[in-house]
Amino acid sequence: MSTPTQTETTSESTFTRLSGVWNEYLPYWFMAPMVLVMVMITFFPGAYDLYLSLVAEPTLNVLDAEFVGLRNYETAFTRGGAVHSFIITITVVVSALLLESVLGFFLAALVTGVESSRAKSFYRVLFIIPMAVAPVSLATIGRIMLNTEIGVIPYLINAATPFTAPAFLSDVPLLTVILLDTWNWTPFMFIIFYAGLSSVPGTLIEASRVDGAPLWRRYVHVIIPYMKPVVFVAALIRMIDLFRTFGVVYGLTRGGPGTATQLVSINVYEQMFINNQAGVAAAIAIVYLVFVIVLCNVLIAKVGFKGVLD
Amino acid sequence: MVIQRNRRNFIKATGVGLIGGLAGCTRGGEGESGDSSGGSDELAIPLSEYEDADIEWKQFEGSKINIGAVQHPWVSAIEPAVPVFEELTGIEVGWNILPEQQFRTKRQTDVSTGAGQFDVFFLDQVVNQFRNEGWLQTLDQYFDDSSLYDENWWQPDDLFEASRWQAHGGGYTDEWTGIPITTEVQTQFYRTDLYEEHGLEVAETLEEFRQNAQTIHENGSDVVGTAGRGQKGYGMNIYILNTFIREFGAELWTEFPSDSGLDTEGAINAAQWYSGLLQDYGPEGASSQTWSDVLSTMQEGRAGHIVADANLFWPDLTGEDSQVADSIGIAKAPRPADGEFGPNAYNWQISTSKNADNSEQAFLFMLWASSQPTNTWMHLENGAAFSVRQSVWENDEFRSRVGEEFAQVSLESLQQAQPDPFDEQYPEWGQSYSEELQRAIAGQKSAEAAMTQAAELAEEIYSD
Repeated sequence: MSTPTQTETTSESTFTRLSGVWNEYLPYWFMAPMVLVMVMITFFPGAYDLYLSLVAEPTLNVLDAEFVGLRNYETAFTRGGAVHSFIITITVVVSALLLESVLGFFLAALVTGVESSRAKSFYRVLFIIPMAVAPVSLATIGRIMLNTEIGVIPYLINAATPFTAPAFLSDVPLLTVILLDTWNWTPFMFIIFYAGLSSVPGTLIEASRVDGAPLWRRYVHVIIPYMKPVVFVAALIRMIDLFRTFGVVYGLTRGGPGTATQLVSINVYEQMFINNQAGVAAAIAIVYLVFVIVLCNVLIAKVGFKGVLD
Repeated sequence: MVIQRNRRNFIKATGVGLIGGLAGCTRGGEGESGDSSGGSDELAIPLSEYEDADIEWKQFEGSKINIGAVQHPWVSAIEPAVPVFEELTGIEVGWNILPEQQFRTKRQTDVSTGAGQFDVFFLDQVVNQFRNEGWLQTLDQYFDDSSLYDENWWQPDDLFEASRWQAHGGGYTDEWTGIPITTEVQTQFYRTDLYEEHGLEVAETLEEFRQNAQTIHENGSDVVGTAGRGQKGYGMNIYILNTFIREFGAELWTEFPSDSGLDTEGAINAAQWYSGLLQDYGPEGASSQTWSDVLSTMQEGRAGHIVADANLFWPDLTGEDSQVADSIGIAKAPRPADGEFGPNAYNWQISTSKNADNSEQAFLFMLWASSQPTNTWMHLENGAAFSVRQSVWENDEFRSRVGEEFAQVSLESLQQAQPDPFDEQYPEWGQSYSEELQRAIAGQKSAEAAMTQAAELAEEIYSD
């Protein structure tokens, strides 16, 4: 039997010590790659945005930039049209979210009630198709279809109804934007609500049916309360996505006529890439980011996750 | 040597193949394309066309340049000839072709971050903005280098004065900010069949134009009197209105930078005329019409006229996609009875940034691309119709190809064009000005109120 040498003992103790440190911080090592990714894709751009909002001109040499305090924020809320674009954005988010939720739920309920599995499958595909259209394509198609002279929608309205089609993009631009977004994204709500409805236990529905509850009562008192977490999560995800809406509106109206459909995202884009006002664009983006984060947190705290976690 | 020769042949053959493929992806890459580059060994233009130039073409042999471009007919027209440049100089050419809006975003990111990815890039109304920010490299030092430039060969005086003026920052600098490569000028298009039906004369004045529009509008149930760009944006409604502002005797920046001139009597009259015309005789929703909507409306036979739009619409209006191809006439843009004819013209130019690694090679490419041999070949052999060189518009073979009427109207209009001067904040105040004009066209406010507000906003930007 051989005895360990001094060197072997030292190596072993170093290894044991390192192993101990590794094991002690094991959860953090596993999280490290994710933290690194988060820093690179979230915190760094956020910090750079904050830096841009506080300097006169963007420069690669951060230390040489002229610090202007809140001047860009002041410009954003005076000449930059930030307040107006916030109002437009909130209008679009609230309206589209309501419409998409109601329509999505209605369609999901209809398809859930269909008994033939082949018909169910057909309707599922049919209702999901609009979501597959890319925003830029949707905007381009929308512009052509809504054109008062050559568009098929004004033509059909004029030909098949007693009404005269409005000039969608100039007379009712905000409504047009909301309706187009609703057409594009109702399928998203439909998918989630359909999955939610499919997961409602059959015993609950059966019990309420035995109790003699009509269909609408079953929805109001059994199904919808059961689906509250699903509805909340779907609405929250869609709301956050709506706050980021850009391509379809820019392609359709470029934020006009005037600034009638100028969402915050479009305002930021124009300040940055048309006006070349990186600081003002960054200032609006920072305020917007804070606004959305606060709003989501308030909603989660006051409304949502109690139901989800229960 | 053997290896080098094989490599060059391979690059040439691959280049021709790729270019052919790319050309098919861009607007103008089909139809009249007359790629005469032939096989991999036959160049589109003989090298002898360039050997008279006192330029050391081979001094950067073995290097590479990167070009950032929008999807534009110029790209597809020149691509088959690029192997000529590669053979002439030994400089390899790489392309980055994007849709216009994506390209603008990428270009600004490239120059503002100092990435210097593009040695050559398309440049437009932001020329003085980029120059003012220190992103743009002016070209005078290269024009002064006798190994890079031969004035007798390149013949700068053959470029339209309006094109040279815009390449010099539209009066805001004496230096070359780039080389103009395409030009388009405002003209009017009208339906010859409707003119004949209603006994109308081609309008020379704004009043005649309005009367013609009224006659067509009121007598054709499915045809509107006119169509025009109402959409906001500096390539949209204000590109048209700026012509009328100048024709009404006013000007942009009566006194730079304190008086924008937008709220002068002439400018307000111009805005009233244009917004009134579109409201009375244009399509419903004229305020949201882009140039492509205007073109489509005319192509579909739904409008009697297009007022002051680009002469480059001609091939689209008389081509296969047009339902009224046989009854389209082209004439000079109308002017006020007591005003001076001065249509707007617009040039794309190619420039290089301060951060580009290969600006000298880029300059050689710019010279080659805009030279008479290349320009003439593109216009005679490869379907182009946007030359910045007068000699091309006067070339009998070219006139025969594009039509005498189109060539003569374009030439005379280009010779008298008064392009927009793009000051460094033009994109910013132009955006506000176009939004106000769009409101006036949509009937949301009067032309006077809109132009007064536009003037205030423009002057406020420079008051900071």
